[in-house]
Amino acid sequence: MRAPFSSLCFRLQAAAALRSRKALTPPPPIRFLRKMLHYSTEEKGQPNSAEYRLYFKNSDGKYISPFHDIPLYASTEEENDIPPKRSKTVGTKTLYNMVVEVPRWTNAKMEIATKEPLNPIKQDVKKGKLRYVANIFPHKGYIWNYGALPQTWEDPHHKDKDLDCCGDNDPIDVCEIGSKVRFGPNLVGHSVLPPLLSETMRMLLGVGWGEPSESLSHCIDDVRKHKPGYLEATVDWFRLYKVPDGKPENQFAFNGEFKDKDFTVGVIKSTHKYWKALVQKRTDGGAINCKNVSVCDSPFLCNEGDAKSVVES
Amino acid sequence: AQSGGGGGSRGRLMSYSTEERGSSNTLSYRLFIKNPAGKYVSPFHDIPLYADEAKNIFNMVVEVPRWTNAKMEIATKDALNPIKQDVKKGKLRYVANVFPHKGYIWNYGALPQTWEDPGHKDCNTGCCGDNDPIDVCEIGSKVCARGEVIQVKILGTLALIDEGETDWKVIAINVEDSEAQNYNDIEDVRGLKPGYLEATVDWFRRYKVPDGKPENQFAFNGKFKDKDFAITVIKNTHDDWNSLMAKTTDEGGLSCTNTSISNSPFLCTEAAAINIVDQTPPCGATEAIPAEVDRWWYYEKN
Repeated sequence: MRAPFSSLCFRLQAAAALRSRKALTPPPPIRFLRKMLHYSTEEKGQPNSAEYRLYFKNSDGKYISPFHDIPLYASTEEENDIPPKRSKTVGTKTLYNMVVEVPRWTNAKMEIATKEPLNPIKQDVKKGKLRYVANIFPHKGYIWNYGALPQTWEDPHHKDKDLDCCGDNDPIDVCEIGSKVRFGPNLVGHSVLPPLLSETMRMLLGVGWGEPSESLSHCIDDVRKHKPGYLEATVDWFRLYKVPDGKPENQFAFNGEFKDKDFTVGVIKSTHKYWKALVQKRTDGGAINCKNVSVCDSPFLCNEGDAKSVVES
Repeated sequence: AQSGGGGGSRGRLMSYSTEERGSSNTLSYRLFIKNPAGKYVSPFHDIPLYADEAKNIFNMVVEVPRWTNAKMEIATKDALNPIKQDVKKGKLRYVANVFPHKGYIWNYGALPQTWEDPGHKDCNTGCCGDNDPIDVCEIGSKVCARGEVIQVKILGTLALIDEGETDWKVIAINVEDSEAQNYNDIEDVRGLKPGYLEATVDWFRRYKVPDGKPENQFAFNGKFKDKDFAITVIKNTHDDWNSLMAKTTDEGGLSCTNTSISNSPFLCTEAAAINIVDQTPPCGATEAIPAEVDRWWYYEKN
């Protein structure tokens, strides 16, 4: 279950922090900047219509899949499989890329279209109608920037021992709790990352890079301290958000308690592993479209021309 | 911005419209109101307070659509009193998002032909009026447009003391709301929209704290007064407005220029009104709202 994305260009979050008059966090190291690719988007069709699609492009202007071609890890340590212990010693955090599907305070239920080639973002449709999430008083739309971690997949063939249910067949969902209302692909510092688990879905919490509060959030208790009421509101939101559509309240595993960072990192790693198996065709993904332009050992790899013709058709 | 769509709309007795000048989110922005005949009017002086006096239906001018942040106000000191954005210390004002709220949590505006006289000490609050028309929080489902003139049922009122001035907050509902017939007094709000009245007190108590101001106070311990009480308060502010208009000199910098009060020394001609509007910059592109306006402020209540 993910949310819809209704906007335009990616901004380099680190660059934004450098430009910001209120840059209270130090800019990321140069090696991160080299790794932060400038993504852009291209709209097809009219927003708020069933035909609307938002395609992604990399820094060379070539079409990519936000599901398969945006790296999960933004920081170099994890990509090189440097053990977390050493990372802690060095004092750097693990940074993940996040695709923002729904900017905070909006309602349109946008999703990465996992079954369409190149997985553009589109608006969810139920019973022939475009979906908009209800405003559950006192909340207005989504109360965080909402989206997904690329290169992750909750495999429906795997039963999660904690949830006692299978994966939801989608990338893992993220609620980005920083101050800015964000659009598009983003860099998220996951120094805070406790997942909120439920019977049918898992949500992660993250803080976007360049946030004044980012440097303060190292654990769930920091969120409680600096944003009192936000975690409770998050549980409340997920419990109730489908009730106006006639569905029952949602339930949570672990009594709705947030889990810690180590647990969360474990969740991300396993869903990344499931994704690798999917895109390498070691797992049957059913109707999921694994077309990509960058995963070298994937049988679904296609070339620039193929990608272009997908978008132009 | 758009309300009404001009004269002649079916089923609408009074169809006001708007004309934007300057650029939204800049100092130049002005929103002028026109009556159903397309003539400029002052939203302070020329729109009747009553849409239907016998049924206690009032006109309301929407200044701030629900969930937005720009602090828009009827410009009481400017000729024809267009709606413009408030400025403090040279900066355009945006109201903070005080968690869990996003911007204003109702359609917010004013009742025309009312005035909270700064020369009178209100016996309920012990404070003088804030020199403005009386404020209204409209609680219906529709997000109204800036400058829209709607008809409302009065349900009650909250006695805010904002920075030491009396600042009544009337609670009302749009007569066109699909549930309007179920709302007839303040207790109906409590029953049908649980938490909304408490959120309203909370909002007014804390909304200026991010600006470095203290929490606001209330008369009556923050309790809402009922419809009858509210209507009495409104009538008093209407009387004060009548007194204001009867004066021969401009009171305290306020502009009493109007286009409809035939015995008023401040009546101006249609040509003069057009001239006032023409002095303002033509309508331009909307500027972006600064990103810091999106910040959600958290702090424990005292």
